[in-house]
Amino acid sequence: MVQKENILAHFGPLSYEEIGFLLNRMSAFVDKQGMSITTKKKVYSAMVESLENIYKHQDIISSNTDHQPRFTLYLDDKEFSLFASNSLLSHKVPPLQEKLEKVNSLNKEGLKELYKLTILSGDVSPKGGAGLGIINIAKVSESKIIYKFEEINNEYSYFTLNVHITR
Amino acid sequence: MNPLHIEPTEFTPKVHFDPENSIFEISGFSRPENVIGFYRPILKWLEEYNDQVLSLNTEYKKMLLTLNLKMTYFNSASSKFLLDILLEFMKFMSKGNEVEVNWYYEEGDDEIFESGEEISDMLGYSFNFISYVP
Repeated sequence: MVQKENILAHFGPLSYEEIGFLLNRMSAFVDKQGMSITTKKKVYSAMVESLENIYKHQDIISSNTDHQPRFTLYLDDKEFSLFASNSLLSHKVPPLQEKLEKVNSLNKEGLKELYKLTILSGDVSPKGGAGLGIINIAKVSESKIIYKFEEINNEYSYFTLNVHITR
Repeated sequence: MNPLHIEPTEFTPKVHFDPENSIFEISGFSRPENVIGFYRPILKWLEEYNDQVLSLNTEYKKMLLTLNLKMTYFNSASSKFLLDILLEFMKFMSKGNEVEVNWYYEEGDDEIFESGEEISDMLGYSFNFISYVP
């Protein structure tokens, strides 16, 4: 049986400093394992984009403790597996799902082209997102992004993202 | 015009724009909590530099402007602003100034190297790629 090691876990509201703390712990772990700088940067990039996504959307956390922000990072003998979950307003689900399906349908060159189109056309939203985070995650991930939306109530859904990065 | 100097923090890069020597440097790590608040003043400084320095140079011989980008990491929101900064330099170039972009990357860091290639490709402008050992 392949051993799967839990490297990082975070549950509950997230501060900007805590994002830095999680990143530093991952960097220290990767350095200790003697992995390449490119692997480290890929995991780093996927972590930043998914953690900042949680950070930006936690103002709408449901009081239900089952649906708090959640982040976990695992490593087995082949790859890193990152899970990031947060609640979001249900009306935001269709455009996000469309974006995820779009990036999952593209190869490396297609993702580069979409990145280029988005960065040249899109404005940065008041929360600082440039609409590029999901594309960035897809670029560093070797396989398709796995995701699910669970309905919490009439207003909110719970979004979970799972990304794999070859070690 | 006064230089622009911003000390680096845990989340933001060092910025040193030296108008006297026409050398402009951004280096380090970029993941600002308030990305607009960090980058907007830099873009504003460049607009003022254009108005107060470049536009007043009526000589035939224009300046060589050197932009040194030595990033160790930047998030996606920062990449949008780095592109905006580069677009300002492209405007300076269209006014007859020469622009040299030096893109530094740590040896073996394919992520930063490829990001530079992509941005260079987007602008249709060649960068000098320079690797370094930290």
